[in-house]
Parts: sequence; C-alpha cells; structure tokens
Amino acid sequence: MPRLFPQEDASDVRRRYKPDVIKGDMDSIRTEVLDFYTTLGTEIIDKSHDQDTTDLHKCVTYIRDFAPDLDKSNLCILVAGALGGRFDHEMGNLNVLCRFSSLRIVLLSDDSLIHLLPRTHHHEIHILSSIEGPHCGLIPIGMPSSSSTTTGLQWDLNETEMRFGGLISTSNIVTGEKVTVQSDSDLLWTISIKKL
Amino acid sequence: MLPSQRKRKITISSLSFLFGFSFFPRRPLAMDLMHHSSTFLLPTIPSDHRPSLTYALVVLNQNLPRFTPLLWKHAQLRLCADGGANRVYDEMPRLFPQEDASDVRRSRYKPDVIKGDMDSIRTEVLDFYTSLGTEIIDKSHDQDTTDLHKCVTYIRDFAPDLDKSNLCILVAGALGGRFDHEMGNLNVLCRFSSLRIVLLSDDSLIHLLPRTHHHEIHILSSIEGPHCGLMPIGMPSSSSTTTGLQWDLNETEMRFGGLISTSNIVTGEKVTVRSDSDLLWTISIKKL
Repeated sequence: MPRLFPQEDASDVRRRYKPDVIKGDMDSIRTEVLDFYTTLGTEIIDKSHDQDTTDLHKCVTYIRDFAPDLDKSNLCILVAGALGGRFDHEMGNLNVLCRFSSLRIVLLSDDSLIHLLPRTHHHEIHILSSIEGPHCGLIPIGMPSSSSTTTGLQWDLNETEMRFGGLISTSNIVTGEKVTVQSDSDLLWTISIKKL
Repeated sequence: MLPSQRKRKITISSLSFLFGFSFFPRRPLAMDLMHHSSTFLLPTIPSDHRPSLTYALVVLNQNLPRFTPLLWKHAQLRLCADGGANRVYDEMPRLFPQEDASDVRRSRYKPDVIKGDMDSIRTEVLDFYTSLGTEIIDKSHDQDTTDLHKCVTYIRDFAPDLDKSNLCILVAGALGGRFDHEMGNLNVLCRFSSLRIVLLSDDSLIHLLPRTHHHEIHILSSIEGPHCGLMPIGMPSSSSTTTGLQWDLNETEMRFGGLISTSNIVTGEKVTVRSDSDLLWTISIKKL
C-alpha cells in the first residue's frame, strides 16, 4: 500500500489501510506484520488447525456467517490478488466461486475480473467500457454446458454447447454496453481490465 | 456372502476377479502406465532417461519464465506464438545481462517458426526474425483457434525433421496475464489429450493426466514441489486414487463446487494417479 502512495508517509498510509480482520492458517504472515496490525486493533482469527479449506474459503465463510454490522442482503465480495502465482491456488480460488455459488464473489487481478454466472438465473452484464473490456470469455467450469446463449458479444453463442476439450469462449469481444447470458450450466464470466 | 450383500461398491473389475472370467465387456485391470518427469528443467537430461522424449518449445506472449533458456536448449524445435516473439526479442538478452544483446538474439535464441494471427508481434521484431530466416506462418484469417492451438497443430502435423513418436511440447508463458487466455491454454491440453503438452510459468507446471492411463509422476525435488494439486477439468470425476501425496485420494470424488485437490504436498519421489476422468496435474516450481 505505501508503494502505491510514494509521496506519502508510509506509516501514515499503513494506518489508513488497516484491515478489520486477518484470517487464515497464518503460515505466510510475517511476525512483524502480525504484531503491527494486532496493536492497531485488527481482529486476528487463527485457523491453522483447519487444513481442509483454503484461506479464501475461510474468509468468505467469515464474511457470510460472522461479520457483524454488515448488511448481507446485497453482499458482494471482492477478492484482490486472486490470480497469478501458484496455479493450484488459482484453481482453489475458482472453486470458492463454485462452492459459494449463491454469493456474489468477484476475483480480481491487474488484468482480469472473474465471477460466476449461476445457471439458476439469466444474466445481464453492464459493460463499463472506460475500465473494462473489450476482451472477454465464458468458461464452463466443472461441467460441460449443453446450451448457452448470449447477446452483445462479437461471437455470440446460440444454444451452443461448450466444454473443455471442445469449444469454450475465449478471446471474445464485447460489442456494446450490455451482454446477456443464459446457460444450463454454471459459467465463469471473465473480462479484461483496462490499464489506465 | 454374495457380492451384492457387501457394502462396498461393486465394480466390473472386482466381479471379474471373483468369477475368474468376464460376463461383462472386458475392461483391462491394468491400464497402460504413463510416466511423467520434469527432466526438461534439469541442466542436462540423463542419456539413459526413459522415456526418451523429443521436445518442442512454444513461447507465448507473457514474461519469459527464468528457465526459458534451459527449455530452449532441450528443444529441437522452437516456435513463438505471435507476440511470444516480442518476449524472446526483449527478454532473452535480459536473462544474459553480461552478454551482447545482439549476439543473444541472433545466434543463440532465434526461433525456427513464428506462427499465429500476427496481431501482437511488433513490426521490427517480425522484420528482424524474417531477415534471420525464421519461418513466418501468418494465420490471421483463422479466428477460431488460439495462437497456442495453431502452434500445437503445426508441431503435430507439419514440422519436418522432428521425431514425433515421443513428442513433448513445452509451453513457456502459459499462465498469468488475461484469464481467458489462460483458460484457452488449458483447453488446448484437453483438446490435444493424446499429446504430451506441459504448460509452464515461473511458479507452476501443469499437464494433463488422461483417464486412459495410470500415471507415474517422478518428482525431482531439487527443482519442483512440494506443493501440488489435481483438478478435474471440464467434468467431475467420480473416482480418483493416488499414492505419494500428503492427502491421498482413495476412490474419491472430485468436482468444481465440491472437493478438488489443491495445496496438496508430495511426500516422496513418486506420485501415482488414476482416475475415471481427465485430471490436470500441477506442481510448484522452486525458485532457485
């Protein structure tokens, strides 16, 4: 965070960007960092005994089940740093989207944004062309889709079958301000984030 | 006790064992074994190493993994997929800061082929390699397949002078960058499931374990691990079994939305895997 504000005093920036909670199995956080935020009053939730779920999974559970003073009726969880690094971590993060398919969770990296389009709904995606696109994709993660239909893409799908090993929609292009999607299967939507 | 009275799941192969012959269409009890090892990450590949593979390298348009020169050395054919040529041009010299950039580019790291839709390669890079004799294959009319797909097709169908009987295609720069590109690259593994294709980044290596084989993965602990994972890509797996992992699978079901094996740990020199579904194997690459 201090490096994103090079003109400002690092200590000041750190206090401005004080997390409410640090949760996980605590095998990566540096001791001085843990001490720093503990003294500032951040809640530390040590789940090192639980090796069955990823750190992201633990955080999503916390937000959904425990976070006080949070209006959860229209919740959206933004995840920074979800891509890159170890591939198995990335897949674990995608799996959190699938396991919590009734929650809005958006995975974010410098280059891309990803979220689930559950099969239970028709979807309208409003494109903010100043900040995202034009490159996009639709991915049948976890199970083939026998029928997906879209509007608003350069290569629209029309009751098209998609599956790994066959067709999946990558390097597609959004053509306007709105994309609609309906499918018989959960799909991952991804769109590129513009470098401004 | 009749088999049907047992609680455990009855499989076709166990019934065959009990009766000594098959009522049912024969399913082999012992599938062909497929061996995997990351010897392409070693400085030298032992001459008695089996299987003896022919390597081809495809460079994609991402930051070059730091071990790309090693992959280049082991490969008998080197292709750049479109903007991958920019990466070789710009970044190979940076991996050899003590050496003359021009030398690195011309003599040592000249791709044999540049193929793709040519919408990323810079003009001066294209001209540079053209004048050096690199074969340029412009497929800009073909928008149905990714640049990696085009390169794999080239290697499989057209590359002359390449022994393809034991081919392994190494892909540098396969991860990171745009997520849809990454998914497209994974899909190439699935579409060409009978070819050995390894996706590589600085942090990870990925390849397919086709369901048609039992798999033995030989772990080179000096260069890879211990973190690993197994993912059912594209379709759930009702039964996968492993040995050699901290959290082994035992006829375990895996699917996105349920259990997938991530943040697992290799415990020794050998991992075995069998599954009813194609799985992706991934292992971390050590930073040396």
